[in-house]
Amino acid sequence: MSQTTLPTVAPERADGPSIGETTDLLVTDRRTRTPGSVLRRVLIAVWLPIVLLVLWWFLSASSTSPFFPPLSRILEEWWNQWVIGDAKFQLASSLRNLLFGYVGGAAIGLVFGTLLWRFPPMRRVSNPIVYFLYVLPAPALLPAMIALFGIGELRQIALISFGAIWPTLLNTLDGMRGIDQVKFDTARAMKLSPPRVLFSLVLPGAGPQIAAGLRASLQTSIILMVVTEMVAAKEGIGYFILQAQTVFAVTTMWTGILTLAIIGTVANYLFVLIERFVLRWYYRSRALGNS
Amino acid sequence: MNARMSRSYRWLAPAAAVVAALLLWQLVTAGGLFRPDQFPTMVDTLLALGKAVATPAYWISIGSTVQAWFLGMVIASVLAITIGSALAFNDFAFRSAASVIEIFKAIPAIAILPLVILVLGSTLPMKVFLISFGVFWPLVIQVIYGVRSMDPVVLDTARALGVRGVRRFVVVTIPSASPYIATGLRIASASALILAVVSELVGGAAGIGRNILQAQNGGMTAYPVMYAYLLTAGLLGIVLTGAFFLLERNVMHWHESQRNIRSNAEGALK
Repeated sequence: MSQTTLPTVAPERADGPSIGETTDLLVTDRRTRTPGSVLRRVLIAVWLPIVLLVLWWFLSASSTSPFFPPLSRILEEWWNQWVIGDAKFQLASSLRNLLFGYVGGAAIGLVFGTLLWRFPPMRRVSNPIVYFLYVLPAPALLPAMIALFGIGELRQIALISFGAIWPTLLNTLDGMRGIDQVKFDTARAMKLSPPRVLFSLVLPGAGPQIAAGLRASLQTSIILMVVTEMVAAKEGIGYFILQAQTVFAVTTMWTGILTLAIIGTVANYLFVLIERFVLRWYYRSRALGNS
Repeated sequence: MNARMSRSYRWLAPAAAVVAALLLWQLVTAGGLFRPDQFPTMVDTLLALGKAVATPAYWISIGSTVQAWFLGMVIASVLAITIGSALAFNDFAFRSAASVIEIFKAIPAIAILPLVILVLGSTLPMKVFLISFGVFWPLVIQVIYGVRSMDPVVLDTARALGVRGVRRFVVVTIPSASPYIATGLRIASASALILAVVSELVGGAAGIGRNILQAQNGGMTAYPVMYAYLLTAGLLGIVLTGAFFLLERNVMHWHESQRNIRSNAEGALK
């Protein structure tokens, strides 16, 4: 039954609902969305983070540990560094590299994923190479990227792109392979042109899984963004954190960690929001199916 | 005959592709598209790999990477499976913890790397902590969904049969959630290897990552060694994720296919 004897490259998608699902604060079933239930959901979702923050605040208030300064000092320092100070310029360089790298890598992954789906011989032939590049831990390529591109921004963007390619590529391929054959027969019967089939059948059909791949690519990109800034770089948030660590400015380092946490969370939520909007037809149909 | 030919073709074509890729590598490097200080030739790299394989240092570096990977995976999966299944059984606990888990999952684990290095130094515990921290959050989400997707009838049956406590956990909960856990473990395995390499590359702990960086610092003559270790990292990735891939496919086979066969049969009866 299996089409290939080699292990087909494994998709990043965790089977079943992933983060999108737990953010149902953002999208709930419209029929159950009464003001009271929304309030209750919000309260249930936020009480624990708030309690933990308060605990952190009071437990660390009298902390003398050099590694865990009081939260109040971290927040104060954060304001000074990232809002008043110059640290925000580090952010600009980081986010620029992230954006170029991620968009480039995701586009390559999407295009080549589609090509590999369209041409099965190509898929079979390239399978072991794609699998090797997918499981190769991308940060290990950093020294090679330095040798290839020097220590400038180009190697940062190149490495971020490289890492972003594979989850998108594999999920695109997998999602497209999973489309029901009957739909293609219908499209043929309706004499749809190939571009029409691609844009109104293939891409929407594989949409949910492409989105899962794009999200995994985004997470890889953020990791690679930080790693590239921690080795042989002169700017960026990873550089900022590591620099603060080497001069033992622990509170400053904590502000960098905090900023990075905010970037990760915001990027994730932005992604979920965009995904919910672009794939709203899919989530609507699924919500109907579940009820 | 046709089937056998196509089967051998399936093996031959990818193998030929690997050989072609290696030849292409040799061609572009020896042909002068890349300077030797950018990209060593395939032959040099394989020679360096052959030489490295004979040294104990090579196996020691693999050993320390795999050791950190293994310990991190064990700690993270034990914690994720116990905490995840405990949370999954209570709706209030699950909904409360979900937002915290989501926040921690969104924090890139390497953000805390400098802090962990300060506290623990460039040591094995540093690597293990970083790996466990980074792997735990996505894994616990998988476990929660796995347990929550459990068929209520199975739970009722277990209750009717008087299966409870630890026994229910081992005999009912874990097997029911196993496809989700297997997927989570496969993804965790890949991230654990990435985090191990990062902690060696940035944190300076012993392992493949540090050897790659050292070879790069060693200048042009050491570049084939660097790529030899890179190849090793990739092969290690194939072994470590491949193992979980096989595990996942087997577990899935037992679980999903059974259900599909049954539901198909039911559908035919209707």
